[in-house]
Amino acid sequence: MNPTTITYSAKMKMAEIVCCPEQLSILERLNIRLGFGEATIEEICGKYGLSTNLFILICNIYTSDSYVPSIEGLTRSDIPKVVSYLKKTHSYWLEQCFPRLHANIHAMLQSCDAINQRVLNQFYDDYDAEVEKHLAYEENVVFPYVMSVIHGEQNSKYHILDFEKNHSDIDEKLRDLKNIIVKYLSDDQCASNHSVRIDVLNDIFKIETDLNKHTLIENSLLIPLVSKIEKGIL
Amino acid sequence: MKKTKVVIIEPSLIVSAGLKKLVESNADFSVLATLPCLSAYNEFQYGMADVMLVNVSLDRDGNIRSLLPTQNNTAFVAITYGPYDESVLKPYDGYVGLFHTEEQLLRRLRNAIEAVSDRPKVEASNELSPREKEILAAVAKGRSNKEIADEFSLSVYTVVSHRKNISHKLGINSIAGLTSYAIMNKLVDITDL
Repeated sequence: MNPTTITYSAKMKMAEIVCCPEQLSILERLNIRLGFGEATIEEICGKYGLSTNLFILICNIYTSDSYVPSIEGLTRSDIPKVVSYLKKTHSYWLEQCFPRLHANIHAMLQSCDAINQRVLNQFYDDYDAEVEKHLAYEENVVFPYVMSVIHGEQNSKYHILDFEKNHSDIDEKLRDLKNIIVKYLSDDQCASNHSVRIDVLNDIFKIETDLNKHTLIENSLLIPLVSKIEKGIL
Repeated sequence: MKKTKVVIIEPSLIVSAGLKKLVESNADFSVLATLPCLSAYNEFQYGMADVMLVNVSLDRDGNIRSLLPTQNNTAFVAITYGPYDESVLKPYDGYVGLFHTEEQLLRRLRNAIEAVSDRPKVEASNELSPREKEILAAVAKGRSNKEIADEFSLSVYTVVSHRKNISHKLGINSIAGLTSYAIMNKLVDITDL
């Protein structure tokens, strides 16, 4: 089944929708274990205390690029699930994606001339630090704030819209790096095995897509939901 | 004939799907992408569009053109759900409303394209001009737009458009990325930084 053509519904069998790497990531991040048998999406979600609406929403976000998520049908109790989903994604990036990208970049730069090596190492290290800072802010400020709001504690100093305003774009440098490698890192400058450069680009593509979807979940699910609670209407 | 490439940025799926269908009903047009929000726009994928059809409510500050970097001669057409003040529509080359007919829609797109067709085009070549190289070197050295404007006797506005063209040509937007490019291509020496 082609994931981009699936129209998810509660009564579909869970086993049928698992057909692409993105779908596997979603299951992992929601802590849903394999071995679905004939169970439907609704049944599996019930087993894990997850709302079917939220599950389908997340699936749609990953499988369709033109999908516009709406928080209609979501409730207060979905928010902790969204937060834990986002946190899991962060750990996945920090523990797997970025270290792998880093290792591949390191391998790629081994055979570059000294200047390129130095420049691109510096560029990547700065980017890495930026990502860590961005994620740490969400982990240490935004998510704890969201949880406190759900528990009815209103912090008068911070609002979810402050997060929206400061929500920086961490994929800009990644796109730059991609373009630098694609356009300007020729065999003359970087004698490494060409396949290492391809590995780096594959890593970047994957991270880029995941970052975009992640930002979409934050901007169009988390922020509007929390903003509704702040206003006392959820 | 080459087809006119359109990018639609519209949060309502119903509206964007409708527009896409109507626009593509004419063989002269093809829709490159329908995007739900400005942040989904990717300059390198869609920067060559001939027409940007954008929901007017997505840009609250009147700087839609700088939010969506395109070629100089890309036409911007607003999608409006209701009456808007003229000042809001000022950055656009035209607008379309929900109740326009297919014919009106296409005519408005063509008028907008015509309106921008005499603007200077970004050079077809992606090679940086000597002036752009100088400016890029200055950016890499950490100079501000104001400092660069003073150094080269240019207006800040001109420096900004040079920088936009540089980023567009190179496909690099961050200062760190531009600096890396400048060093790798020996426009500046690493010891100058």
